Amino acid sequence: MALVKWKNRNLYDPWTEMRTLQDEINELFRNDRLPVTTGLFDRSVTPAIDFIEGEDDFTVTCELPGLEEKDIDVSIASNVLTLKGTKKTEEEQKKGKYYKKESWTGSFQRTLALPQTVDSEKISAQLKNGILQVVLPKKEDSKPKQITVEIKE
Amino acid sequence: MSDEKELQKVKGVPAPCDIFHDNESVILYLEMPGVTKENLQIRVDKDLLIIDGKKETADIEGKYMIHEIRNNDFHQEYTIDDTIDRNNINAVIKNGIVTLSLGVIESEKPRKIQITAG
Repeated sequence: MALVKWKNRNLYDPWTEMRTLQDEINELFRNDRLPVTTGLFDRSVTPAIDFIEGEDDFTVTCELPGLEEKDIDVSIASNVLTLKGTKKTEEEQKKGKYYKKESWTGSFQRTLALPQTVDSEKISAQLKNGILQVVLPKKEDSKPKQITVEIKE
Repeated sequence: MSDEKELQKVKGVPAPCDIFHDNESVILYLEMPGVTKENLQIRVDKDLLIIDGKKETADIEGKYMIHEIRNNDFHQEYTIDDTIDRNNINAVIKNGIVTLSLGVIESEKPRKIQITAG
């Protein structure tokens, strides 16, 4: 027999569900929210990223705690950057139990369309303390150029 | 709400944590990306286990087009009881994951009782 989570505590108030839904959606948009593991939506397995446009390059920062270089795959096709990887579970323990599990495991993929073409030869990626940083230098010819126009009388 | 925000500004956010328990020890796996060995501080104050991690953020000049990573420092407190051996607490940090193992005192471990024939 399957166990069903008893969510609706008040059967006679049909709005409870709506309010719960509202609360859960509000929770998603709360800026300072703490990691939550329960709720309407499962915690999606996409690591947080930052994408910064600098003067000469783009920088993509990605939080990947517990991953090693071999677990991560960074690829670029024209101007679409793909970050892929698999986070493995700790496997050494067999006996014992988890009281709490807030971290995620599994594979993830993030695809970013870059706003302009980058020099794919010069892309560098570095993994340090669980943070992946990919630097994508902009192509010379796609940089804004100043062209002086001579005006003749 | 405002109080909560103020508190977080001072102390930081808790890191996602897995707590694993077996006969020998309680093991905490804390995800702290960007924290180095030097910036991690773990201390025991009577019944409190206090974990502080300072996040090292690379300052990158530019316009943030996606900003999902929060730059808060990590702070987490756990209450530990007398079954934890205070002298047997070890922490390892690797790739942004802190493995904190708290040893259980000898008298709390399950043991077999030898039966002697009378």
